[in-house]
Amino acid sequence: MKYEYWLAGVKGLSTAKKSLLRKHMKTAKAVYYIEETHLNKLEFLNEKDRNKIMQAKKQGDPGPEYEKMIEKDIWFVPWFSEEYPKCLKEIPDHPYALYVKGSLPHENQKKAAVIGARRCTPYGEKYAVDFGRVLAGRGVEIISGMARGVDGMAHRGALIGGGKTYAVLGCGVDVCYPKEHIGLYVDILEHGGGILSEHPPGTAPLPQYFPARNRIISGLSDAVLVIEAGRKSGSLITVDMALDQGRDVYALPGPVNSVMSEGCNRLIRQGAEVLLSPEELAEQWGLTEERGLVRGRHQAGGRRNNKRLKEAGGGSAPYGEKEDKNEKMLETPENLVYSCLGLYPKGVDQVAAETKLDVKAVMELLVTLELEGYIREISKNQYIIARY
Amino acid sequence: MSFSTIISAAVDGLGVELVHVEADISNGLPVFHMVGYLSSEVKEAGERVRTAIRNSGFDYPAKRTVINLSPATLRKRGASFDLPIAAAILASLGEIGPTATEGYLIIGELGLDGRVRKVPGILPIVMEAKAAGICRCIVPGENAAEAALVKNMAVIGAGNLREVVSILRGQCQPEIATEGKEPGGYEEDMPDFADIRGQQNVKRAAEIAVAGGHNLLMIGPPGSGKSMTAKCIAGILPPPDMEESLEITKIYSVLGMLDEKAPLIRKRPFREVHHTATRAAMTGGGMIPRPGEISLAHGGVLFLDELPEFRKSVLEVLREPLEERSIQISRAYGNYRFPADFILVAAMNPCPCGCYPDMRKCTCTPAQIHMYLSRISRPFLDRIDLCVEAPRVKYEYLADERKGESSAVIRKRVCRARLIQKERYKNTKITTNAMLSGKELKNYCRLGEKEHALMEQAFTVMELTARTYHRIIKTARTIADLEGEEQIRESHLKEALGYRIMDEKYWRKQEV
Repeated sequence: MKYEYWLAGVKGLSTAKKSLLRKHMKTAKAVYYIEETHLNKLEFLNEKDRNKIMQAKKQGDPGPEYEKMIEKDIWFVPWFSEEYPKCLKEIPDHPYALYVKGSLPHENQKKAAVIGARRCTPYGEKYAVDFGRVLAGRGVEIISGMARGVDGMAHRGALIGGGKTYAVLGCGVDVCYPKEHIGLYVDILEHGGGILSEHPPGTAPLPQYFPARNRIISGLSDAVLVIEAGRKSGSLITVDMALDQGRDVYALPGPVNSVMSEGCNRLIRQGAEVLLSPEELAEQWGLTEERGLVRGRHQAGGRRNNKRLKEAGGGSAPYGEKEDKNEKMLETPENLVYSCLGLYPKGVDQVAAETKLDVKAVMELLVTLELEGYIREISKNQYIIARY
Repeated sequence: MSFSTIISAAVDGLGVELVHVEADISNGLPVFHMVGYLSSEVKEAGERVRTAIRNSGFDYPAKRTVINLSPATLRKRGASFDLPIAAAILASLGEIGPTATEGYLIIGELGLDGRVRKVPGILPIVMEAKAAGICRCIVPGENAAEAALVKNMAVIGAGNLREVVSILRGQCQPEIATEGKEPGGYEEDMPDFADIRGQQNVKRAAEIAVAGGHNLLMIGPPGSGKSMTAKCIAGILPPPDMEESLEITKIYSVLGMLDEKAPLIRKRPFREVHHTATRAAMTGGGMIPRPGEISLAHGGVLFLDELPEFRKSVLEVLREPLEERSIQISRAYGNYRFPADFILVAAMNPCPCGCYPDMRKCTCTPAQIHMYLSRISRPFLDRIDLCVEAPRVKYEYLADERKGESSAVIRKRVCRARLIQKERYKNTKITTNAMLSGKELKNYCRLGEKEHALMEQAFTVMELTARTYHRIIKTARTIADLEGEEQIRESHLKEALGYRIMDEKYWRKQEV
């Protein structure tokens, strides 16, 4: 197996050529011990390929490295193995092998990729979490890239929904990138999901790896959901690949003046399906049954853990079901202030102007609402509603 | 009579030391010798003095002249000894009677034609002279109004050396200088809050900051009027009382920055420092330290625009003065302590492009925002009581013709709040709420049961630290004072919470 591991790790050689080489030599071991003269006779390899192989051979015995990987509980899945996902095998230039921590997505489950911008708005955050939560709650496996922004929120949503979620990284699976997602990384594994990569363990996250890993994200999924994407977002690369691979593409519409939704809105114009709500999508897919919706796990011991919230929402929190505050506190100044807030941040002066209250009163009301967990201050004196 | 002595003075830091200028003229080789630990500009006085004496119509005999400036341990700098040296020589020569210079303090620079030129530091010098029991001063005419700020002191402003001699000879009745005209009021050429449209939130925060002497940080996109607001803050500062005025004037006097005609500073200073400022410019410095920007802002406002653009080391040196309200400068030559009791007003963008958290417009990556914010250290932020957002101005506000509250109205409220504080903290060293520390906080800022519960909730929900907790209580104290309430109420605490400094989460990194 260590020779298979070695062959998979040869850099700069396409999957097709690696497969041909292995077929020609019968085993990976034979490839490893191939003579240079023999190599030169192989017509399907060019000068560059030969150099790459010779270079890889010089790096010495792959054994210790392979052992190290096994020790780290990392799973090596070459394309010809049983476990290699079938849907991924279908795509052009599928990875020669996957390195997996945790588990692989299940063959017979519906799989959805939830992707979007790293610098997303609270709107994108909310819907990434929502789609992740609801779909995962109905048994859909959520696949994304564990990046900042939409990706991370989608994973988080899936975990809240009590489902499995898989992250495809652009670095080794033992490298947590971005670093601040270490909590998410651990949670994904703890909840039976998996971390996947086509790069051997220890590979550093280099920019050129990321567009390529997007083909794996879409390749593993049945459908690609774009939550928020700017005009030149990397998510659009994933969409192109998904279309090449014959996957369904869905896009979440956004305000026309939001640059972070421009990519999505354009996708819709080009014919992408419109996402209206996660529930509707689930029904469309024939997934009506809710299974084990675990609400607010994320927040149960978390920071907005105050008494009032518990009473009001049974411990569910920002990502829980929306509670209709309007009905509860009709015509109070709190309601007035709350109702003029949304998912795009507003400042104190703007709230004061819209509610016709003076700033002093508005400030007090905002703090009251914040203390009770209804709104969040995301930047100095910039507020959004907290219970999505 | 071939020996005489004159009393003059030297400024050292902000302190003053009286200097005895001794002159001795004897037979011997015609040399002019000056001793007494002099810097080169003092040594050059020799040429100026001899020429000035001759050009004023006195004889300068070819004799051996020795000048000594005592105490010899003090380094003497500047040109302010010209006039006392000239007077001492003329007394030695018998031009002036032997006892005529007794009880006088004489100071001034001489021109070659005998004209007396102005020198810096007159106010502290005359104050020190008075403390030493001297009751008559001869100072440069241009400095006379400044010197006359000291009560019960006969200040004589001299235009040239001849005049000085005739005064000392008793030939003419000297004119006793007066204080000069009272400087103009606040409304003069100062930006007014009434001219700022919208920005109610920032105005309110500024009012609280000034009322309680709290430091203020404004965060907002470029063009949101942060600098304009800061400039308006000068207009709502309470007028300083006489003692404070003199203290401020003293600092400006030493740096030679006073207006000749209206020397007394009746407005609290507003100092805007550019972000290219060096550490020495900020704190004061030099081989023999001079006060820096923070001392020039003493009693007033120090405004730092584009806070993250300041060099980190420059911001870090502000930590001590923000806490101690003075700055200690240690040099090989000696230790100096300059007053630096100011309200810090700082302004910054929320991210390099200025649009965060509006992701529809912001083009910065999280890493860039993090880098930008982390240029300001936590300990520095811990010294800021109020933090407020300055939003981009909306067109509706610009179109709105109605004027907002004028600075004068706001100032009135501020003064009232300050008066309450003065009353509360009499017999203590504290003057404003911002100066309260842990123990005093318990004494002066008692919270009721409801208020305690609120703060407890805020502590957990908003993840406050002990430091921010105290700052919020202090701010709430000021808000209560602005309303004339003795007891801090829930509404005061809530408003103070709204202006708290952003927590670690915003300041460090975002997490999922």
